[in-house]
Amino acid sequence: MNHKWLQRLQDEISQAWVVTVKDIKVHYLRPGVIMFGFLMPFFMFFSFSVRREMAAAQGVARLLALTTFFTASALGPFIIPLERRVGTYDRLLAAPMSLFTLLLGKIVVGTLFGIAVSAVSLIIGVTIFRASVTQPGLLTAGIALSSLSFSALGLVFGSIPTRNPGDVQMPSTLLRWALLFISGVFIPLQEMTPAARAVAYFSPLTYTQDAMNHAVLGTGLLNPWLDLGIILASSILFLIPSLWMHQQARKQGY
Amino acid sequence: MTDAIEVENLTKIYGQGQRGVTPVLAVDHINFAVREGEIFGFLGPNGAGKTTTQRMLTTLLEPTEGRIIIQGHDLARDAYAVKRQMGLVPEESNVYTELSAWDNLMFTAQLYRVPRAERAKRIQELLEIFGLWEKRDVKVENFSKGMRRRLSIAMAIIHRPALLFLDEPSPGLDVQSVHAIRDLIRQLNAEGTTIFLTTHQIEEANQLCNRVAIINQGRIAAIDSPEQLRATFQRMQSVEIALQPDSRVLGEDLAKLVGVTTTVKMGDKWRLYTEDPSALLPQVIDYARVNGLKIISLSTLGPSLEDVFLALTGQPVGAVRYEMQEGKTQRGGVKGQMGGGQ
Repeated sequence: MNHKWLQRLQDEISQAWVVTVKDIKVHYLRPGVIMFGFLMPFFMFFSFSVRREMAAAQGVARLLALTTFFTASALGPFIIPLERRVGTYDRLLAAPMSLFTLLLGKIVVGTLFGIAVSAVSLIIGVTIFRASVTQPGLLTAGIALSSLSFSALGLVFGSIPTRNPGDVQMPSTLLRWALLFISGVFIPLQEMTPAARAVAYFSPLTYTQDAMNHAVLGTGLLNPWLDLGIILASSILFLIPSLWMHQQARKQGY
Repeated sequence: MTDAIEVENLTKIYGQGQRGVTPVLAVDHINFAVREGEIFGFLGPNGAGKTTTQRMLTTLLEPTEGRIIIQGHDLARDAYAVKRQMGLVPEESNVYTELSAWDNLMFTAQLYRVPRAERAKRIQELLEIFGLWEKRDVKVENFSKGMRRRLSIAMAIIHRPALLFLDEPSPGLDVQSVHAIRDLIRQLNAEGTTIFLTTHQIEEANQLCNRVAIINQGRIAAIDSPEQLRATFQRMQSVEIALQPDSRVLGEDLAKLVGVTTTVKMGDKWRLYTEDPSALLPQVIDYARVNGLKIISLSTLGPSLEDVFLALTGQPVGAVRYEMQEGKTQRGGVKGQMGGGQ
């Protein structure tokens, strides 16, 4: 009995990885996406740093939080509706694996993309802007867990029962920009009013920014372990609406 | 003989419980069974409920009501065991156009946990069988529709499923591809695969299937072998005649011949439906002689599966493929005589 369960677990992990690799080949290894990955950090940095008085290290902490946030959640909302439209999603749903495994595979690919582009940001920050990293372990864990969380967030929108990627574009863009403004990226948590800070605590990006501040600047408002714990918890939390919407989609015929 | 699929009271209502959505009954308490090792055709006009039924059988759609047993497993409780034993070829060839044929098959082999040591050998075997070996490294976006279809079938059988679902396998393909795919279906069946074939191509079902179910407006109108269905509809026999010059033949005159129920113009021929072809033949010959027409060909025909299909789905004979003779389309009392269920 145990052997069967172990075999099943091994199968499911392998299948999630197969889905990840397939998504990398089909959706991520495209010239446009690769260019996006390389250029995004530059645009991010210049968009939010130019003509602002801030230290390079502060800019790099912000850059890392932003690139992780925007890249890990970038394609997740669109891949499933696109696959539903061309019929390839049925192939995945009909395969002998659990829905959780399928979604895990989809989340991992976004996570890897977020980590890869954040690595580009980090290299830019260290080499061009001469920023130093005070806590490399925290930085690695922060980027990895944040990518996981934001990829799971992207998947929430991807799970909306529709075959039209356009249907998810508006809500996903709206929410991501809203999170950007409430999360202590532009206005540090320390400078926020108590009400604004209370709102900021609902956003996982707040904890990513705080973790990046700890890792790069050596200072932050919250305990870094709390940051990592909440980011991880948010990843799991984002899976719930995704699973629920997939069950609804199965009832509605998507 | 055991059943590969058992369906009890299967029902699907779209939009049930959704605010602002009018519920639509797509499949209405259907019952049928597919025997182990047979090719079972699921026929019906567009919108009859074919694809909805197939999607429920393949776990892609949740039934509103009813029970599905596949290979002895209750689909609602043990979908994993069922999925391991089934292959699916959907209506649209859902292959990854960004990948090569080899990569598509490798992805599917990995997904279905084909043992690592067997994967390459099995992929090569399938690519050769399906005539794609030479194109194995070509991206599928450069494949023709027929090649994509063949690849889609290869992907569905890479794990040697006991049960294969095929949704409209041949529409839009050239004649060679259609024949190749039908041969492959026969071969798979000969090797022991049970095949559930959803189609609206009656001739395809006629050529391939051991039994067919005809679904109309969400209900099963009939289930039987193609020959048995035809035998039940003997009233739909016909006389087919080609006369020259064709321009002088008047459909309304032919329709007035005693015993003719329906007249259909089919290219340069006329088909006259009747319950008694032997009584009609002398009249047709007389008509040709009196009007100075030359008989090019004359034959009597039994009811085709298409005739049965049209009768059961409540459409007039000739409504689908043939140009209809105006004002002479009645087809009395055939609908509903087959009954539903098994």
